[in-house]
Amino acid sequence: MANVISFKNEMRDKLRKWREDNHRNSEQIVDVGEELINEHASKLGDDIWIIYEQVMIAALDCSRDDLAWTCLQELKRQFPGSQRVKRLAGMRLEALEKYEDASKQYDSILQDDPTNTAARKRKISILKAQGKSAEAIRELNEYLEQFVGDQEAWHELSELYINEHDYGKAAFCLEELMMTNPHNHLYCEQYAEVKYTQGGLENLELSRKYFAQALKLNNRNMRALFGLYMSASHIAASPKVNATVKKANVKYATWATNQINRAYQVSYARCLL
Amino acid sequence: MAEPELLLDSNIRLWVVLPIVFITFLVGVIRHYVSILLQSDKKLTLEQVSDSQVLIRSRILRENGKYIPKQSFLMRKFYFNNQEDGFFKNTKRKVVPPSPMTDPSMLTDMMKGNVTNVLPMILIGGWINWTFSGFVTTKVPFPLTLRFKPMLQQGIELLSLDASWVSSASWYFLNVFGLRSMYSLILGQDNGADQSRIMQEQMSGAAMAMPADTNKAFKAEWEALELTDHQWALENIEEELMSRELDLDGMFSKELPTGIF
Repeated sequence: MANVISFKNEMRDKLRKWREDNHRNSEQIVDVGEELINEHASKLGDDIWIIYEQVMIAALDCSRDDLAWTCLQELKRQFPGSQRVKRLAGMRLEALEKYEDASKQYDSILQDDPTNTAARKRKISILKAQGKSAEAIRELNEYLEQFVGDQEAWHELSELYINEHDYGKAAFCLEELMMTNPHNHLYCEQYAEVKYTQGGLENLELSRKYFAQALKLNNRNMRALFGLYMSASHIAASPKVNATVKKANVKYATWATNQINRAYQVSYARCLL
Repeated sequence: MAEPELLLDSNIRLWVVLPIVFITFLVGVIRHYVSILLQSDKKLTLEQVSDSQVLIRSRILRENGKYIPKQSFLMRKFYFNNQEDGFFKNTKRKVVPPSPMTDPSMLTDMMKGNVTNVLPMILIGGWINWTFSGFVTTKVPFPLTLRFKPMLQQGIELLSLDASWVSSASWYFLNVFGLRSMYSLILGQDNGADQSRIMQEQMSGAAMAMPADTNKAFKAEWEALELTDHQWALENIEEELMSRELDLDGMFSKELPTGIF
């Protein structure tokens, strides 16, 4: 008996940890969550509702419509008229590719509450799922005009622009992200990569600087290290630079090479262990 | 000459001081829950949400602008502050200061505020004054001038009594303000029993309307942004980075510590 109880608690804690860290390990969530719901539903108390939501989204990811439907019914029964539940219903319609119905669902949410960001973002994801990236970009721009602080949206927009090869605008979005999260080395690295892809001497210099910044924030970022090496050597190899700049970049590239060698040695040493 | 120290009956401590503390505390807790029940839903308009986010973005630009290239910073500063079509220069929100007469919801809010806070205080203060009258309750630890006597010693007609000895009504008022920190401990921050905060809000009053605030906030941001300069943090980043070897500890290990954000 005690085993069952502690097992249930363990599962519940795992679900909570995944929820808080925003993990997208849907198969695991479905496994753990399904068992939790079927066996221990009564003993979970008020936690059950948020678990229903978490498991439902994971079930949609795994195409488990039966499980998603059960969860949705329970939530609808408990919270009739809730916008959060309506959004989940819309997500289920999206998973079934009934995009028109899903869109109508989200529109009804927005009629009640024009400030509801979740519904707007789902509408944009519908456009993205249908492959209409130009429209998605336009809608996302409009959304961001009103909700300038939404970092998830900025990141999504930068991805969309990168797919459309509009690197200038992608760089703009990443700059917003870098300003709001100055200590996140991944945004610096992505920005540097976009600048590197844009090409041109000035952008290469910028990319080298931002690769260096990413490295400074996280010494172990191998991608940034390689990026630093490549941008430095690219600038050094360019015919348009003067001698001092060339010398400086050769120095940077050599330093980067040394660090890369060291990293390989560390990994070799680890393999031997 | 040392004045005669009064020795108070210990019954006073048992039956007056402590009950007043309990009463004040319980009334405060009740007020908190009543205010939660009576809370009206504050609906934010799209414009308000949008404006608050714009202000946040401008503030971030000022604080962290040094992490983006100079060009980008100037581009954004221009967008906000440009003389002709800058956002802060041009956007004027409709300023309707909601006076209590015109805006019905403000009126009911004020009434609720009054009922939950001021009324009980007055009622209970009066009741305590009436019940626990005719004797001295406690002594404040600092000397007071004679001018405080009629205020603090209501009901005690002794001309020679030191003003530091106060009646139960003043002990009640002392409690009302003193228990504020107790409330934050027990009810969490931002609780409905916080008397002084509510009084402060009422004093800054109906004139502090959100719309007017937005315009002023925009102006303030405009000025602050004008003054900001761009000091690129990445100026000498390569030198800083390459001054020492990279710390490759823990690389390629299975469990990488995720303290990197």
